[in-house]
Amino acid sequence: MEKNLILSVKNLTKTFDKLEVLKGIDLDVYEGDVVAIIGPSGCGKSTFLRCLNCLEDPTGGSIIFHNEDLADMKVDINVHRQKIGMVFQQFNLFNNLTVLDNITLAPITVAKKNRAKLKTKNFFIKLGNIFKKKEAKKPLYDLGKTIAEIKKDAENKALELLTAIGLEDKASSYPSQISGGQKQRVAIVRALAMNPDVILFDEPTSALDPEMVGEVLSVMTDLAKRGMTMIVVTHEMGFAREVANRVIFIDDGVIVEENEPNEFFKNPKNPRLKDFLSKVL
Amino acid sequence: MNVDMKLLWDKFIDALIEKNGYKVVLEGLYNTIQIAVLGLLIGIVIGTLIAIVRVMPKYKVLPRILDKICGCYVELFRGTPMMVQLLISYNVLLPLMGISVDSGLPVAIVVFGLNSGAYVSEIMRSGINSVDIGQMEAGRAMGLTYTTTMMKIVVPQAVKNILPTLGNEFIVLVKETSITGYVATIDLTRAFTKLAGPSMSYIIPYLMLGVSYLVIVLLISWGVRSLEKRLKKSER
Repeated sequence: MEKNLILSVKNLTKTFDKLEVLKGIDLDVYEGDVVAIIGPSGCGKSTFLRCLNCLEDPTGGSIIFHNEDLADMKVDINVHRQKIGMVFQQFNLFNNLTVLDNITLAPITVAKKNRAKLKTKNFFIKLGNIFKKKEAKKPLYDLGKTIAEIKKDAENKALELLTAIGLEDKASSYPSQISGGQKQRVAIVRALAMNPDVILFDEPTSALDPEMVGEVLSVMTDLAKRGMTMIVVTHEMGFAREVANRVIFIDDGVIVEENEPNEFFKNPKNPRLKDFLSKVL
Repeated sequence: MNVDMKLLWDKFIDALIEKNGYKVVLEGLYNTIQIAVLGLLIGIVIGTLIAIVRVMPKYKVLPRILDKICGCYVELFRGTPMMVQLLISYNVLLPLMGISVDSGLPVAIVVFGLNSGAYVSEIMRSGINSVDIGQMEAGRAMGLTYTTTMMKIVVPQAVKNILPTLGNEFIVLVKETSITGYVATIDLTRAFTKLAGPSMSYIIPYLMLGVSYLVIVLLISWGVRSLEKRLKKSER
């Protein structure tokens, strides 16, 4: 079966001052892939993930997404980030906004901005049309939804997503009023609200109390089952084994081993991976 | 010194009420509040913009140039007394530009705004730095621009953190308005001085002047405290 290539990373490097963190990483991620990235702390796995949406600017190499190279500084990264969701270890919900506003902020802002751009274009077309004959007049762009409709739709979608994770009653709560597990589930929903093509998870359960890890993992498992493309940096070996379809071991800034989960955990080939697994399993 | 307080008090009441002195005092109060409030508002706008420029990542040339300009602005306005700024604006810059005004009020408002902008920018900068970096990262990761994330996420939280310090700045501004009398503005101090003028008895008017400032400042402190409490509700 032919799968669509979502993200293609070629020879990615990242250097902080003189410290070389990533030493050339290649990775192709296909639609529906759930890629688990594991490795000892400080190996560069979080840095790698943060380079994928340019939260850290890559030093070298390329990241092809939607036929454009994200590592190129000239590319409008904001447009692409709208299609790359991210979930953080520390949740990073917006503390000054309610749960609902947290989810709707980006969709509403982006839709409004696009509408405003079309409006500006229309204005210039109208201006040009004044000097044209009736039959030569250029058609105006369709603005689509009104701002009120944009808001309404975003809110409906947010509520729908919240209902799916059983948090619809928390819509008007502030992040400080909900538990860590609930925060992380809201953060996942917030990423989903943009209809991303891929979601990056940066150790999504590491900052949680043990009893809350399960609820977050189950939301992620659900997502994976519904075919969402995910790249997950994790210490949850169980999740990597059960849910991921590819597991990657990064050590010292390079991908040391990649395999499908069964083989990966049963027959690790690389000695460093063997050593790592013997410590964590 | 033998002072007949009863007589002085009667003189004061006479000047305040019989001779319509209260009108001047009310005008002075209004102007004082106006200068302080508008000054602070202008200061917050300017200060926020400067603070954003100064915390902006400086990979590109433009932010670096803007940062230098803002740095000069802050040093200039913090490095000279507000009194001197007022005198220069009113007596040097206005004549140079060929503008004549009846009242120094607009000049005072602008100078207070510019001056407080310099101070607020430093306050705001520390406020912005106090907001967790993750808030900015989360906004950027969703494709929001730096400015949008700053204005909708970081600055509101920063303002909450610096509210007591902003209140302090407001109090400073209210008290500083007492120098605007030097540039033909009827502020509270000027008003009470005028009130005392005809009878040459300054004791009661100046004591009342002090009390007036104290009352205003206490009211502001109380207002800031209750605002703080209300804003805290959304957190914790």
